[in-house]
Amino acid sequence: MTNPTDFLLYADAVAKRYPDGDVRALNGVTLGVRPGEYVAITGPSGCGKSTLLNVLGALDVPDAGAVYFKGEPLATRRDLDTFRARQIGFVFQSFFLMPTLTARENVQVPMFEGPLTARAERVKKATDLLELVGMGHRASHRPKQLSVGERQRVALARALANDPPLLLADEPTGNLDSANAAKVLDLFAQLQKARGLALIVVTHSDEVAALADRVIRMRDGQIVSDCAPATTTARTVSG
Amino acid sequence: MTFVAFIFKNLTQRPIRTALTVLGLSVAVGSMVALMGIAKSFRAAQAASFEERGVDLVTLRGGDAIQLTSEVPEWVVHEVSTWPEVKAIDAALVDMTEMQIREPRNADDVPPSKPVIVQAWLPINFGFGDMDVLEGRKLEAKDEGKYYTMIGNEFAKSVNKKVGDTITILQKKFEVVGVFKTSNFTERGGVLTLLKDYQDLSGRKGVVTGFSLRVNKTTSDPDAEVEAVRQRIMALTNNKGDSLRLTPQRPEQYLDNASHLKITAAMAWMVSAIAMLIGVISMLNTMAMSVLERTQEIGILRAIGWPRRRVVQMVIGEALLLALVAAAFGSIGAVGATHLMSLFPQVNTLIEPGIAVSVLVTGTGFALLIGLLGGAYPAYRASRLLPTEALRHD
Ligand SMILES: Nc1ncnc2c1ncn2[C@@H]1O[C@H](COP(=O)(O)OP(=O)(O)O)[C@@H](O)[C@H]1O
Ligand SMILES: [Mg+2]
Repeated sequence: MTNPTDFLLYADAVAKRYPDGDVRALNGVTLGVRPGEYVAITGPSGCGKSTLLNVLGALDVPDAGAVYFKGEPLATRRDLDTFRARQIGFVFQSFFLMPTLTARENVQVPMFEGPLTARAERVKKATDLLELVGMGHRASHRPKQLSVGERQRVALARALANDPPLLLADEPTGNLDSANAAKVLDLFAQLQKARGLALIVVTHSDEVAALADRVIRMRDGQIVSDCAPATTTARTVSG
Repeated sequence: MTFVAFIFKNLTQRPIRTALTVLGLSVAVGSMVALMGIAKSFRAAQAASFEERGVDLVTLRGGDAIQLTSEVPEWVVHEVSTWPEVKAIDAALVDMTEMQIREPRNADDVPPSKPVIVQAWLPINFGFGDMDVLEGRKLEAKDEGKYYTMIGNEFAKSVNKKVGDTITILQKKFEVVGVFKTSNFTERGGVLTLLKDYQDLSGRKGVVTGFSLRVNKTTSDPDAEVEAVRQRIMALTNNKGDSLRLTPQRPEQYLDNASHLKITAAMAWMVSAIAMLIGVISMLNTMAMSVLERTQEIGILRAIGWPRRRVVQMVIGEALLLALVAAAFGSIGAVGATHLMSLFPQVNTLIEPGIAVSVLVTGTGFALLIGLLGGAYPAYRASRLLPTEALRHD
C-alpha cells in the first residue's frame, strides 16, 4: 500500500476532462515521485503528458483525484502561486524568457516571489546560477542575442531561482539540436546529483528517457507502463 | 533588478508606442496645467494690482460681481471721499464698447470696430498717482468737456496710436493726450477718459460702476478700521432713508466672487476634465493593447509563481510610470508655453510666464489619476490570464 507521505509529489487517481471538444485528457493517473528522483514521461502526442505536468505543477486542478506535495494535498493550499514560486521550477519547450530583460534579469523574475528581499542578493544569486549552467559569460545578453541552447540554459537557471526541490520540464529539448540538447541533459543529471533535485521531464526523445531513473509511458490519458529505462520487461499498470 | 526597473524595462519593449502614449498624455496634462496655471496667474495678477495700489475695499452695487454690470450713484463717491477715515478713493465708470477702426466715409458708412474697455475716472482718483506716463501727459480736471483720452500702453501697441492721434468711441472723437502704464492689465489694454465726458456721452449721468478706497490706518488693528468703513458704506441710505444696498468687499473676497475669474477657472476645469477623459481613454487603449500582446508572457509569469496581485502591480505600475513621465514633459511644455505666449502682445498683458508649483503638483496628481483609471481595467484583465492558456501552444 503506497502512502502519499512517502513521496515528494504524489498524484492519486487524477482525472482531467476538457469540456472544449469533450476530451478526457487524464483518466485516473496515479504516480509518486521521490525526492531526488529523475522521472521521464513519454507517450504519443495528445496522450495527456502536458496536462499531467500542469496538474502536478499546480497550474491546473484535476476534476477528480488529488495531488499531494510532501504528503499535503494541494487542494487545501490557499496560495498555489507561492507554492509554485518556491517549490517548483518550470522549464518549457519554448523557453519563454522575457525579451526586454538580460539573462541575469530573467533569472531574477521569480525571485520577486522568493525569499531574497535585497536587490544585491538577488543579483548575486542570479549571477551564481548563470555560472552553474555555464552562462556566466553571457549574463548581460538579451534572449535575442543568445542561441536557442543558451536560452534554455538561462531558462533552467531561472527555474532554480528560488531553490525548488522539484523541476518540471515539458519537452525541454524539443527545440534544440542534439549537441545543445545533450548539454541541457547533462545539466539535469548534474543538478539531480549535486542538489538532490527531483526531475519530471516530458519527452519524445529516447536519449532523454534513457538518462532517467524511471520512464512512464502514457496513452489516452493513462499510464501504460512505469519502469526503469533499461528494463525490457515493463511492469504494466492496470487501469 | 528592482521591481520598478522591471516595470521600466517592460515599457521599452514597444518604444514607439510608449513614446506616442507619453506624447499624447503630455499634451493632455500640459494643456491642463497651462490652463489652470494661466487661470491662477490671471487672478494672482489682479490680486497683485490691488495689493500694489493699497486697495482696502472694492465697492459695487449689491448683487453684482463685476464692475461692468454694476451701478453706484456718483454722489456716494464724493460723500465717502470726505470721511476722515478714508485716505484716498478711486471711482470708475467701466464700460466695454466698440472702437471704430477708422472714420466713417459718409453718412451711411459703418466702419469696422474692435472691442475696447473704457475706464472713465474722476480727476481725484488715486489711480492717476500710481500710473507711469510713458508719453504725453495725464488727464486733469480742466480737461473736462474736451473729450481727451489717455490710452494704455498695450492698447497703444495693438492699435498703433500715439499722442496727438484720435480714436472714435461711441461715434465721438477723442484726442489722445497721453500713453500710460499701470499694474492693472485691463487698464493697460484699454482707454481712459474723464468720468464727466463719458457719462455725458453714454447717457449715464451721475453714475459710476464702482469705487475702491484706501483706509486711513491709525490704530494697531487696521482690519478693524477697514471693517468699520465697510460697515459705514453698507449703512448708506438715500434721502428717503432706503438702503443703497452697496457691497464693499476686501479685494480677496472681490476676486473670489468676480464672475470673470470664476468663468476662467470653470473653463480651465472643464478643459481639464476633457483632457483627463482623453488621457484615460488613451491610457486604457495603450495598456489594453500591451496586455493583449503579452498574454503569453503574463501567463508565464503566473506559471512561475507570480500571484495575481503582482501582475496587477506590474500593469498599474507601467501605467503610472507612463503617466509620471508624461506629467514631467507636460509640465515642462506648459511652462514653456506660458513663456512663449508672454512674447505675444495680444495676450502678454493677461499671461505671466511660469506656472505655480501648486498647479504643477495638481497636474501630476491628475496624471497619476489617469494612470490609475486607465490602467485598472487592463490590469484586472491581465490578472485573469491563465498560465495554462499561455502554455497551450507550447
Ligand atoms: N485547454 C484545452 N482544451 C481542450 N482540450 C485540450 C486542452 N489542452 C489539451 N487538450 C487536449 O487534451 C489532450 C491531451 O493534451 P496534452 O496534455 O497537451 O497532450 P500531450 O502533451 O501528451 O501532447 C489532447 O487531446 C488535447 O487536444
Ligand atoms: Mg504536450
